[in-house]
Amino acid sequence: MRLPITGIGAVASIGRDVDEVFGSLCAGRGGLGPMRGFDHELYNGRQLFEIDDRSEPGADRTLRATGFLLDAVGQAAADAGLGDDLSGIPVLVGTGLRELRSAELWWRDGAPFGADRLHFGTALRERFGTADTLTVSNACSASLYTLALGADMLALGEADTVVVAGVDAITESMHGLADRVQPDPPTALRTLDVNRKGTILGDGAAAVVLRREDLRWPGGRLWGRLRGVGMTCDAKHPTAPDREQVAEAMRQAHRHAGTRPGDIDMVMLHGTGTPLNDLVEITAYGEVFGDAAGGPVVTGIKPMTGHTSGSAGLLSLVVTLQTMATGKVPPLVNLDDPIEEAAGIRLVRGQEAKHEVSLAQVHGFGFGGINAVAIVEGA
Amino acid sequence: MITVTGVGVAMPGADSAAALATARNPEGTVEPAAVLGKKGLRYKDRATQLGLCAAQRVLTDAGLLRDGEPTVDGSRTAVLVSSNLGNVDTVCRVTRTIAEEGTHGVSPMDTPNASSNIIASEIAIRFGLKGPNLTLCNGPASGLDAVRWGAALLRSDRADHVVVVGVEPDNEIVRGLVGGPVVDGGAALVLERAEAAEARGATVRAVVGAHTRGPDVAGNIAELAETEPEPPAAWFAPAAAAPALPAGRPGRDLTATWGELSGALGVVQCAAAIGALDAGADGPVWLVAGTDTDDGVATLVLRRPTPAAAEPALR
Repeated sequence: MRLPITGIGAVASIGRDVDEVFGSLCAGRGGLGPMRGFDHELYNGRQLFEIDDRSEPGADRTLRATGFLLDAVGQAAADAGLGDDLSGIPVLVGTGLRELRSAELWWRDGAPFGADRLHFGTALRERFGTADTLTVSNACSASLYTLALGADMLALGEADTVVVAGVDAITESMHGLADRVQPDPPTALRTLDVNRKGTILGDGAAAVVLRREDLRWPGGRLWGRLRGVGMTCDAKHPTAPDREQVAEAMRQAHRHAGTRPGDIDMVMLHGTGTPLNDLVEITAYGEVFGDAAGGPVVTGIKPMTGHTSGSAGLLSLVVTLQTMATGKVPPLVNLDDPIEEAAGIRLVRGQEAKHEVSLAQVHGFGFGGINAVAIVEGA
Repeated sequence: MITVTGVGVAMPGADSAAALATARNPEGTVEPAAVLGKKGLRYKDRATQLGLCAAQRVLTDAGLLRDGEPTVDGSRTAVLVSSNLGNVDTVCRVTRTIAEEGTHGVSPMDTPNASSNIIASEIAIRFGLKGPNLTLCNGPASGLDAVRWGAALLRSDRADHVVVVGVEPDNEIVRGLVGGPVVDGGAALVLERAEAAEARGATVRAVVGAHTRGPDVAGNIAELAETEPEPPAAWFAPAAAAPALPAGRPGRDLTATWGELSGALGVVQCAAAIGALDAGADGPVWLVAGTDTDDGVATLVLRRPTPAAAEPALR
């Protein structure tokens, strides 16, 4: 499988389009700041990676996630030369938190909101005219799961073009429940650092346009090709990850792609900065890559974007495509003292690295033990 | 060819496909402890408990669970849950607690339930199902979408068995959001490729026929009529969709009996359709979820299994 990716889009705390996001990442510029939508007095942790689109601090509003999604999908569709009319084109959205932030504001403050906008189909139909949409609520691996569904749809010949997207806006319930068990909250997100203290949430959205590989070139830019996606479930614990099935997702991705770990030039980590995720992820990586573990450069974007939940995997993939196009690899900022288990691995630290990347592996793991790994090659 | 090899029903006043197809004034509530035993239910939200009930029944019905033990390798079993309202109560309640007491007032036991995929992940954990695990929260058509994507997972060889579950809980918060009572129940199906079903000697309850998704009911029905060789013997659809369906065929709007079904609707319709097929419906059953006022409409056909249905598809 080599499905052309012909358009990309992204929004995050560090940029309102793909170029801004990538520019910030390469410059080592993160988006962590004082939280703008929630009451500081109610929380221990008062910093988040938010998209700054509220009219005034402390005044939140409904449908922010929907807005991020429409921005990212609009960017990707324009980039692919599809324009604003996506009627007949499936749009598959992965999300952890849907429009649950709007439901919170409805229940707590009486903000106008109805069940018809909990999922994103209503807004996507209004804006892009498509009635074949899917909202998959698959926690933090959601958008790589929808990437797999989109790829399968093209492979089965059920569509010629698919838009795959991911989105999340931080909810108070998710931030608050994390805050409850972190009286001493993390002041930075430090993937793989011995002193990492946990994750910090972020707002974000990303989108890609995928095409069938056997069609005449349809226009848009060729950013790269999707080779395969693996997806597994731990079936062990609702919140703690399990090495065995994380590793299996990597192996499955390679089976789908027809590639081997030794072929990979770069790994884009899930890297949430929680003690357990990073340990499980890097040991699973070591297990699958074996002697090849020292080959690829290994990095991640969450220290600068925050944990953007359901959009995280696809955001990592969009950044990967930009790395392939430019040869610039964003660094893992805040990584001062890597954990022992990461010894011998080529971590990108401090500042951007120059590296030719033609095949990369992108990770997304989530609550519920759901794991997805994508393999993508450069144009 | 994709087949249905199991049906599980966990609805108020109906615990089987037969009861579902005929019930008119169902009474009672689903009691998860009576189905699953009390162990392990504490801290699980209502939607998750309902989903576990439907899953246990469907796995048993399909012969994938015998005396509480799995009969197949769980790594090739996918789980696909459809629920729009599942964890809305937890999310809203926690937010109000934070506003009133700060975060020290919330319970860490709510953390897993704040993630909308909790139903699917708990089903995977309880029954050891390690294949693709998906939660669709896709509005009124979500339940039929789940069957469509379950079939896609099989066609793509992502799994050998797919457990499709549709459930919605009833509580003060979701009633407010949808403007009326919600079903507080759901249903489940097991989907398999015909060859896989035959290989393990499973009973085929129905064959999955054509599927459509589009902007309006009439357009979807017209497309269905073009692809489906036979007119429907019966249908299940929202009342607003009834005028677009072929006249003179028995049909029902299940929400008239059970209230808002939301993301459970399509799966419950499939279970009711199998009840109708078991009762002798003389031809395929057409299903419609979503109406012209929603963001999309999905349709699906379930056909009566024929002796030929057990054979590998001839193409």
